[in-house]
Amino acid sequence: MIEIKGLKAKLGSFVLEIENLKIEKGEYFVVLGPSGVGKTVLIDVIGGIIVPQKGKILIDGKDVTKLPPEKRGIAIVPQDYALFPHMSAYDNIAYGLRIRGLSEDLIKDKVLGLAKIFEIERILSKKPSSLSGGERQRVALARALIVNPKAILLDEPLASLDPRLRMKARSFIKGLHKDLKFTAIHVTHNIADAAALSRRIGYMEEGKLIFIGTFEKFVRSRYAVPYINEIKEIINKIR
Amino acid sequence: MAMSRPLKGEPFLVMTLGVLSLFVIVLLLPMISIFLFLKPSVVEKVFISSELASEVRSALATTLEASITSTLILALLGIPSAYYLTRREFKGKATLEGLLDIPLAVPHTIAGIMILTGFGRRGLLGPLTTSLGIRISDSFWGIVAAMLFVSSPLMLDTAKAGFHSVDPMLEAVSRSLGAGALRTFTRITLPLSWRNIVAGTILAWARALSEVGSILVVAYFPKTMNILILEFLNEFGLPYAIALAVPYLLLTLVLFILLRLFIGQKFMSW
Repeated sequence: MIEIKGLKAKLGSFVLEIENLKIEKGEYFVVLGPSGVGKTVLIDVIGGIIVPQKGKILIDGKDVTKLPPEKRGIAIVPQDYALFPHMSAYDNIAYGLRIRGLSEDLIKDKVLGLAKIFEIERILSKKPSSLSGGERQRVALARALIVNPKAILLDEPLASLDPRLRMKARSFIKGLHKDLKFTAIHVTHNIADAAALSRRIGYMEEGKLIFIGTFEKFVRSRYAVPYINEIKEIINKIR
Repeated sequence: MAMSRPLKGEPFLVMTLGVLSLFVIVLLLPMISIFLFLKPSVVEKVFISSELASEVRSALATTLEASITSTLILALLGIPSAYYLTRREFKGKATLEGLLDIPLAVPHTIAGIMILTGFGRRGLLGPLTTSLGIRISDSFWGIVAAMLFVSSPLMLDTAKAGFHSVDPMLEAVSRSLGAGALRTFTRITLPLSWRNIVAGTILAWARALSEVGSILVVAYFPKTMNILILEFLNEFGLPYAIALAVPYLLLTLVLFILLRLFIGQKFMSW
């Protein structure tokens, strides 16, 4: 479980303030909001890249606010996936296991096992520069999940995909979450991602999480007004 | 895409080609002429026969030892410093970076005087260097200090460019996967900026080998190659100076070619 209490992080003139947020174990929580409202800052603060001035971040009851990223057990999947360009897809996925000092045989078993689930067996020897957007996304997700993190933080992971691939990736992540039950915080500006992936969402504006509730409740709230056209489209698709 | 030759009716491009040709001639002429003036009999005298030979060998050894020592110290100091300067923002950073680049702009004789006033026996840190048994004036460590001072911006700036080229998010992801800061540096940052680090090291070494002005002030003795070339020029004339200069020039050219190969070759392609 991830808990955030009275958090305040200042970056120049920008201030991120999260009063109270609880994400249950195994929950896929989406933070929705327009560009520039501080979604990435939120990810960076939870991931330990930015240290907040005030407040607490608890993971499974343990205060990790002052811990460095490597001690938090939280894996990050950034918007551009940040695959290590000098390593093959296999070595990217194996990276976290090698850091933990696992034997190469065990690493191979785990990487190949996960690669099968992610349907990326064919591309394991390739370098990131020769992978497609969808393949990169899968490698980045596999790299994050293989270390069995307490949670993964996804920063607009579908943003660089074209609409067809984006839909495919959404259902892939949804299926993956159903099977693996990992805890995730996914930030996006795309309401269709939020609708497809999460039962409960948060909505951010100007550095503050001003709504937390079910997607249905969000749709009926005043915060959904800027998304009205997209929401109509989603409803039409469901019908 | 660059055009292979100026198009007809483009006088500006024709003019720039003319300027380039003149520039190449002006630069290449002295590089070629030094070889034309080389007299093999004098080279034989300087390097093999007479008591000059032992002095030359000693100067060459001093130069190589001092330049390698200064480059290694510079790499040890410069690489972590460059990394910190690249990854952290703090008050006064721009001023500090400007200060660290000053050796590029300071006339080299003045750089020599600075080293003496800083680390010499009567300098600010004189008591410390003396208590550590390090003599700066007319000593091997004086040459090392002079070489280090003048070549430091090359190492720092090239390493900084390398670290700037590595996306900090790669480091953040590595750390989120369990690697500490040092392991992230050795497994992610260093392999991705290695070419710049090597280039910076070679540049710093080449700069150390070519230094003369500050060494003249700080440590005339033990003699380095550049000091000896100057001495030969004054005492025996141009043919002797050329006989000493050409082999030394060839050594620095080898370094230059190595540098070009490192920069140009994609031995770590992705």
